[in-house]
Amino acid sequence: MMPDFDQQGAAQTKEWVPETNAPAILLENVSKSYGRIFALSNITLALNGGVTGILGMNGAGKSTLFNLLMGKLKVSQGTIKLFGTDPWKNPAPYARVGFVPEHEKMYDWMTAHGFVSTFARLNGLTRDEAGIEADRVLEFVGLTDVAHKKIGQFSKGMRQRVKIAHALVNDPELIILDEPLQGCDPLARTTIMNVIRELGKMGRTVLVSSHILQEIERITEQIVILHHGRLLALGNLHSIRERLDQIPHRISIQADNPKALAKDVIDIDEVFGISFPDGENLSIQTHNLGAIHAQLPRIIVENNHKVTTIDNPDDDLASILGYLTSGGRV
Amino acid sequence: MATKPDSIYRSLDRKAAAIVEFTLRQYRTKKSTWVVLGVGFTALSLIFMIYIDVMSSEFESIDNDGDSYDYDNDGYPTGQEVKLGTDPFNFESHPGLFDPPIEPEPASMYINEDGFDWDITTKIGDQSVGYDDDGDCLNVNRTDSQKDTNGNGIPCDIVVSFISTQSQLGDRIVIDVDADNGVDEDPDEDAYSREAIHLAFILSIGKLGFVLLLGIFLPLFLATGLVRDEMTSGTMHFMLAKPIARSEIFLYRVIGYLGIVWPYVILLGILGGLVSGFVGSGDSFFRFADLGVWLAIVFATMMATLVYGMLFNALGVLWKYGIILAIPFAAWELGMALLSMGAPDSTLLRFSIIGWALMIVDAAAMMVWPNLDMFIAMGDWGGGGDGGTIFGSSLQGSAPLNFFSSKPGLGLSPFVATIISTLVLLLQAAVFWFLGSVLFKGKEIQ
Repeated sequence: MMPDFDQQGAAQTKEWVPETNAPAILLENVSKSYGRIFALSNITLALNGGVTGILGMNGAGKSTLFNLLMGKLKVSQGTIKLFGTDPWKNPAPYARVGFVPEHEKMYDWMTAHGFVSTFARLNGLTRDEAGIEADRVLEFVGLTDVAHKKIGQFSKGMRQRVKIAHALVNDPELIILDEPLQGCDPLARTTIMNVIRELGKMGRTVLVSSHILQEIERITEQIVILHHGRLLALGNLHSIRERLDQIPHRISIQADNPKALAKDVIDIDEVFGISFPDGENLSIQTHNLGAIHAQLPRIIVENNHKVTTIDNPDDDLASILGYLTSGGRV
Repeated sequence: MATKPDSIYRSLDRKAAAIVEFTLRQYRTKKSTWVVLGVGFTALSLIFMIYIDVMSSEFESIDNDGDSYDYDNDGYPTGQEVKLGTDPFNFESHPGLFDPPIEPEPASMYINEDGFDWDITTKIGDQSVGYDDDGDCLNVNRTDSQKDTNGNGIPCDIVVSFISTQSQLGDRIVIDVDADNGVDEDPDEDAYSREAIHLAFILSIGKLGFVLLLGIFLPLFLATGLVRDEMTSGTMHFMLAKPIARSEIFLYRVIGYLGIVWPYVILLGILGGLVSGFVGSGDSFFRFADLGVWLAIVFATMMATLVYGMLFNALGVLWKYGIILAIPFAAWELGMALLSMGAPDSTLLRFSIIGWALMIVDAAAMMVWPNLDMFIAMGDWGGGGDGGTIFGSSLQGSAPLNFFSSKPGLGLSPFVATIISTLVLLLQAAVFWFLGSVLFKGKEIQ
């Protein structure tokens, strides 16, 4: 709180009360710079309810955004509000927030239950309440069996789940997960995705970051794309994809006889170009990815082609970012 | 769904308990904790062992007045010849020529035969003490003026004057000793030195071993990383994502650190009290009186670890290599500790932490051993060694005792000095907490 230099009028003794109508997250023209380098520039964003994926390459500003939200960094310009309160000045809104940091380092000497319950007590729970809550959230992330084992013995996926459990222990309205799927095995990945989807169904506001499009796609359709610190796209993944449909896509097919396959594929209306990068591969250019994928299997089966792989090399974050940043031109 | 807290200032006790408990458990898992505590214990144990060794050895008895010698080789020690009126420097004159002849007495009878008979309290002015145990002053053959060389009208006594002087370093009391020849001139070195070294040991290990060494090195290694280590390793994120103010995290971490340091200091203090109580000089089985000083030593060390803990924790927040910033402070405090031994009234000491902490020890020593000044003056005088006889000298132990003991500054009574220095130390801790919190609050954490 800033001192009142004017010293006029009655003293202000305002206690923090949550603003009931404030959105969970509100950013207005937020910039964060380190010297002359902008980690985030001019982000305006309001989020309330549902699962939102934050997509961006490494260094796009995802973690900076989260650290600003969690009051670890101070904004260079603009205002940032968490439930209507500036998190840099007041940690009170964290009573309604759960945060899963990206950092791998954890307290390896603690048991999962000890870790979750100790940090639950920082929300003001008693020791007994914290123990009960820890049991509840550890069951929610499927770690009941190993709750009393040391975190140091856990696999990467289990550690991520402990972190998620720790963030859920205060039953938060807003959950922020920084790269929760990074380095996880497929099983842990599925569990974590289910947990996040479940939280969304429970009406919580969930923010999850990733640099892999397919991961986010499996969790949510509402995405925010960050690139070089700027907000590139915001909205439904399908609508973003539809925009992408206006621009050419490539489908790469590895087959025994690419030339014979090409002859059959050229009949599809949506195909507007074919090329042969090498002897075994066929590359198809199209504006309508969905139509090709609908017809391709039939053509292959009917004409008895031997196909090893079908790949959409463009269908990843890097190429989406490429399209978005180059204004639709390839 | 549980009701949400309206403010972060809710359930502070629960949050505090959680962080304190967490900090204690974290210390327990760190090897460095055990190394630091182990080294501290070993260092102090070594000093205790040296003390036990010194106390079990015999201090050589010296014939301060030289009356055990037989200068004329007639077989009779000088003391006996003087007592019986024969000439100690004449071979032809000795008690063996008496009728009936008197057997020579062993020379050892004339060593340590006239000890201190001082029974006074510290007050400004002249006081008459002493008693001529061996009768060499009260000898009937001597004239009244020979018996009263200090000229105060009382034959065979010692005048002890407490003189209040003013100097740059403040008011001091100087003790002047003026004895009639032959009074208390051959004290028992073993008894005096044993007592003096015992007292000097308690003060030196208390001031240097406890308040300085433990008081600075425990916080240096245990408190500097309280917040910094978490920031460096990235685990601070877990704590900062909770509805709790950073200044509270700072404070509760320090309380957790005190949770391990204070019991440790108390245990070492009990060990010191037991060792000095059983091994120290004295007729009784255990010296209970010194426990008051040990209590003050433990208390002063606890206060020092609190203030340094806050300071070093703040330095750790300030810079990644806060321990380097802490070293100049430690050096300054070492200098101040030595200064407080020599010039306890120096104004510079008011700008240190250790000056105030040592004042607590000095005040307690003054309360528990009210005659310490006189005891030191007694040993310095050492039977009149500075009065001109070639045999006398200051007794062993009085010099170190003089060095390690000092008056609590400010010219206050010991009780008031203890209270004031405690308040000042608490204020210092509060200031460092505030500074550390401000630094921590303004810190961006990646």
